[in-house]
Amino acid sequence: MSQPPPTPGQDARVNPDAATRAARILLVDDDRINRRILAGILRPEGYELTEAGSGEETLERYAALPPDLVLLDVMMPGIDGFATCRQLKETYGDHCAPIIFITAKSESDDVVQGLAAGGVDYLPKPFRAKEVVARIRLHLQNRALIEAQRSLVEQLSQASAAKNQLLGMAAHDLRNPLASVRALAGLLQEDVAGPLNVDQRDLVATIQEASQSMLTLVNELLDTSVLESGEVVVTPVEASLGDLLDKEIRLQNINAAGKGQRIVLAPGEPLPAKLRFDPDKLRQVIDNLLTNACKFSPPGSVITVRPSVAPGSCTVAVQDQGPGIPENERHKLFQDFGRTSVRPTGGEKSTGLGLAICRRIMVAHGGSIGAEPCPGGGSSFSFTLPAP
Amino acid sequence: MRFNGKILLADDEAHIRKFVGLLLRKVGSPTLIEAGDGQEAVDLYARENPDLVLLDVSMPVLDGLQALDRIRRGDPDAIVIMLTSLTNRQTIEECLRLGAVGYLRKDLTHPELLAELQRLIDENFDSPETNPPPAP
Repeated sequence: MSQPPPTPGQDARVNPDAATRAARILLVDDDRINRRILAGILRPEGYELTEAGSGEETLERYAALPPDLVLLDVMMPGIDGFATCRQLKETYGDHCAPIIFITAKSESDDVVQGLAAGGVDYLPKPFRAKEVVARIRLHLQNRALIEAQRSLVEQLSQASAAKNQLLGMAAHDLRNPLASVRALAGLLQEDVAGPLNVDQRDLVATIQEASQSMLTLVNELLDTSVLESGEVVVTPVEASLGDLLDKEIRLQNINAAGKGQRIVLAPGEPLPAKLRFDPDKLRQVIDNLLTNACKFSPPGSVITVRPSVAPGSCTVAVQDQGPGIPENERHKLFQDFGRTSVRPTGGEKSTGLGLAICRRIMVAHGGSIGAEPCPGGGSSFSFTLPAP
Repeated sequence: MRFNGKILLADDEAHIRKFVGLLLRKVGSPTLIEAGDGQEAVDLYARENPDLVLLDVSMPVLDGLQALDRIRRGDPDAIVIMLTSLTNRQTIEECLRLGAVGYLRKDLTHPELLAELQRLIDENFDSPETNPPPAP
């Protein structure tokens, strides 16, 4: 038995009260009396204090020993509290300790400006010990929770990347054996090992169909994990979309013939001789649209592929003779596992991942993909590539 | 066109050799020689001098690209078709640069594969002299 995987976030669990004890607070005020008053309130609470008398000194102290919280006076000679706050935020970004402003009185302008500069709260003078302690504790707790959250998100994204990698590896290793099972079953049906009787033929056909649907699923899982983990990026090169269409239509017609279907290329406007796209990825999109069109159209249908050219873009539409997509389900089409109620006409399987993968590929090309009903029935799925 | 020559088929997975072997028997009556890794393919090529080679891209000892390169260095006229489950274009381009005449994607359905194989054979063996008679 293998070890159970570590639960994400186990070591990120934080007791907020424990996290606030012995926290380090940087106390900034140009008035030593104020600093002494605040120190008198905070030291008995167990906080470790460092003090600064100006904005410049604050930046130095912060850099030397980053605190868990900063109490920052607004009115100081040199750079004032707001500027100091902005500087700290700019330098330390999301990791900056929470900054609480000390304001002479709760002047709303100061308060607003302080919060705008990145402060989390303000303490009005004269200080009330209980309020000071309560507000500081609250913000230290918040900071501890934010840190815990951040670490949890980091661990989760690592776990997700590892999952994708595993999924990719598993899918990759399953592909070849499945392709062999499917092909060998297909060849058996063609009597390569002698004639089959009716029952044998039925069993072999079942093996072939089952391996076909597994292979489709594995291929789509592999694509999803690869695309999600960002391992594969689209690398466009100059290539001919017309040639690619011809080739894929020729190949897919071989499978379409099994359902008595035909895929035809409509005479349209000539596509530019060269476009920039990733031929492998675009092939996947074309294959997917053609396979879907065959899958959802009745036996004997004609699937029409229609290229068109507009200023700045080229579009290829695949028109099927299927039942069409119900209006209220159209939004599901390009989502992961977004299956609609429309069923394949020849018992084919669908994972609901294919079009989601196509969408990602087209978006990565700076293009788009969409679906709309055909005026004469059926649906038209089209992808658009930017053209020079 | 029926292909009746001698074919060297190299793939480390026995089930792939089995199914590609069956496909090859559908395009003619070839004499089939099988190799399980790239080095074996290079050695068998030198010894058997086949008319056509099918090389898997990922194989142990020598991978398909290395085997392709050695075979073509030894015999610049060697006709080699790559078998691939990757659709990594850089790999395919490298194969073509090294002199492979084409490639077959193992994930195609067998009727598609058969059509591609037939097309590659028709493109590369266009005269009767290059299509030797069946082995006795």
